[in-house]
Amino acid sequence: MIPAVRAASLWQAGLLILMLLVSPPGLAAQTLSVNAAGDALRVQARNFNLLEGTVLTRLKEGRSVRVDFELTVLSKPEGPVVKQTVQGFTLSFDLWEERFAVSRAGSPPRSISHLRAADAENWCLENLTMSISSLGIGRDTPFWLRLVYRVQDLAPVTEDPGDRYTLRALIDRLSRRREEADLEKSVSGGPFRLP
Amino acid sequence: MARRLPQRRDMRILALLVLLLGLPCVQANAQEADAPEGAVIDSVEMSGFSPYSLSPGLQKELDSLVDTPLNRERLNQIAARIEGEQPEVVAAVRAVPRPDGKAHVVFLVARISDDTDLSENINARYVVESVEIEGPAGEVSQQLRDDLQKLVGKRLDTEEADRLKDRLESELRGRDVARRISKGSEAGRIRVVFEIVQEPWIRFAPTRSKLVYHAEQGWSGVLDFPMSSSRSRHRFTAGVVFNDIDELIEEYSGFRLGFESRMIGTEKLGVRLDFGRFNETWEDATLSALALTPGIPEPYRNRLTFEPTVTFAFSPSVRLSGGVSLSDMESLAHAPDSQKANAWVAGISADHTWRAADGDARQSLNASYGLRAAVDGLDSDLFYKRHLGQAGYRYEQGHSEAIGSISLGYISGQPPLFERFSLGNSTTLRGFDKYDIAPIGGERMFHSSIEYRYYHVGVFFDTGSVWDRDADAKIRYSTGFGIQGPNFFLTLGFPLNGDDASPIFTTGVRF
Repeated sequence: MIPAVRAASLWQAGLLILMLLVSPPGLAAQTLSVNAAGDALRVQARNFNLLEGTVLTRLKEGRSVRVDFELTVLSKPEGPVVKQTVQGFTLSFDLWEERFAVSRAGSPPRSISHLRAADAENWCLENLTMSISSLGIGRDTPFWLRLVYRVQDLAPVTEDPGDRYTLRALIDRLSRRREEADLEKSVSGGPFRLP
Repeated sequence: MARRLPQRRDMRILALLVLLLGLPCVQANAQEADAPEGAVIDSVEMSGFSPYSLSPGLQKELDSLVDTPLNRERLNQIAARIEGEQPEVVAAVRAVPRPDGKAHVVFLVARISDDTDLSENINARYVVESVEIEGPAGEVSQQLRDDLQKLVGKRLDTEEADRLKDRLESELRGRDVARRISKGSEAGRIRVVFEIVQEPWIRFAPTRSKLVYHAEQGWSGVLDFPMSSSRSRHRFTAGVVFNDIDELIEEYSGFRLGFESRMIGTEKLGVRLDFGRFNETWEDATLSALALTPGIPEPYRNRLTFEPTVTFAFSPSVRLSGGVSLSDMESLAHAPDSQKANAWVAGISADHTWRAADGDARQSLNASYGLRAAVDGLDSDLFYKRHLGQAGYRYEQGHSEAIGSISLGYISGQPPLFERFSLGNSTTLRGFDKYDIAPIGGERMFHSSIEYRYYHVGVFFDTGSVWDRDADAKIRYSTGFGIQGPNFFLTLGFPLNGDDASPIFTTGVRF
């Protein structure tokens, strides 16, 4: 017979800890910062990772991934929009060098290879610029930023049957987010002032 | 120094073409028409890139090659160093034999951005070692299989590979084809795999793994270990249940084993076998209510179930299933006496997902009806019919999700306790405790829920009632808010017309 009200017990505390451990990641703060290079406004994002989960799995299968990065300048936290720019990139993973390659769409095209994951993400952000003079805002005027990436045309990824029995697979499964969650991510920040 | 710098534009273009056309000049493929290993290098050339852009150390390394024996490993290392210093280029090396037996070494360097294939996928620099079809290769025409093999021995032509993928999809209507690449048997070579993916007509049952906390009911845990690949026809599942009080009126622990096959001769026919053995415990509220309610089958201490079913799929969206459910329950008060609840089971389910034309919004709809009928002919001690209909709708756009669901249940006869309906757990009538609503469950049930989520933060409104045939239905309402992630949830539910207005906290993971 089980009493209606349960006393807290060690195993329950253990289960709570386990639950916290397996709960989805993303508690690490994502932060934005801005800097200027000449007339170009650039953005840096901490903990705004693209090369993980579904995207990383696809890249390591030798497939390429197209990603659109969108940078929006807002005059208030929820708008209105002052200016928006979108830049497309194609990423791939060199199977033999085990490094990432990124190509920027548009003109002039730019490409780079032999990058580690964090460097590839940073390269995308470095190539996502906005003309400061076109913003039409003064140096003392606060503004807010929203950075979004959207992965395009992602086909389903496969699962290695052999991985189903490993502890790592179990941990992955416990902490797995829905695939869709890897395909779009956004972070907002502000207020900023022009550097 | 015998190194010649590229002075003429046409030389660079020629060299670039040589590289891009995939002639045998890629690092690991330089053996066939190249100078032999050990031949003395009489000159070194870099084509397509100014050597003065390289570091002094690397320039010196290039110079030092002259008059040394040809060593391909060293040449490839230098090509790799060029790429390391200049990440916007790819480099390959070729050693051209001279009539006098010496070798002329050419480093062919090309900007990635000048090459569509390389820009699309950096692995296009490598030579295709093999092409394979994963899936029903026998359904692919011989002509197409021959054309696929024409990719072998050349640098990966992504445009041609995509054209072949389209042809595969055209031949295999209704199936998606994905192309993936993996390392070949030696450096610089790759294997291309065309994977034929098809939405199965019969899907494996979703895993029931969860760790759920309900403020009034405590913890419930289920851990399922499905063992198969995502493309496998068969799956075996072993599961452990720890004090699951969330699902039924009873609290049960034990294990379950399951085998599923989603293709018995045809993809339209599947089979499923479920076996479980559980130990039950009962809330005081349930036992007290049972003592006051004659005519309801007695509680049990153990439950053994075996449920074989067959599923037939009319289409990938519509499935019909049927089978039997055999349960043996050892009496709580009169062990080892037991009762059998053996029932025919039948069900039909349908689901469909579609996207808006712009691809931004997605809608999904699912509906199911299930009947469990314990009638003469199955050696059952209890006779009953249990009907359950459910439907759900979900609309997603951007970060917003709107979800609606409805369930209707009806039981006639004398169902065992595990068949009775209950509401007031982590998914239904959130804000209520099932043991306050109906401690022994009910024979009639209605529940609906609407929920709106934005960035996984949601508000909900639940409505429902569970009652017995001779009693009046009392409709209960609850609302609340919380976090509803893909796996994790945390909600605070408020009963709107309960005897106790205290909110109920629930949290947990489902995976």
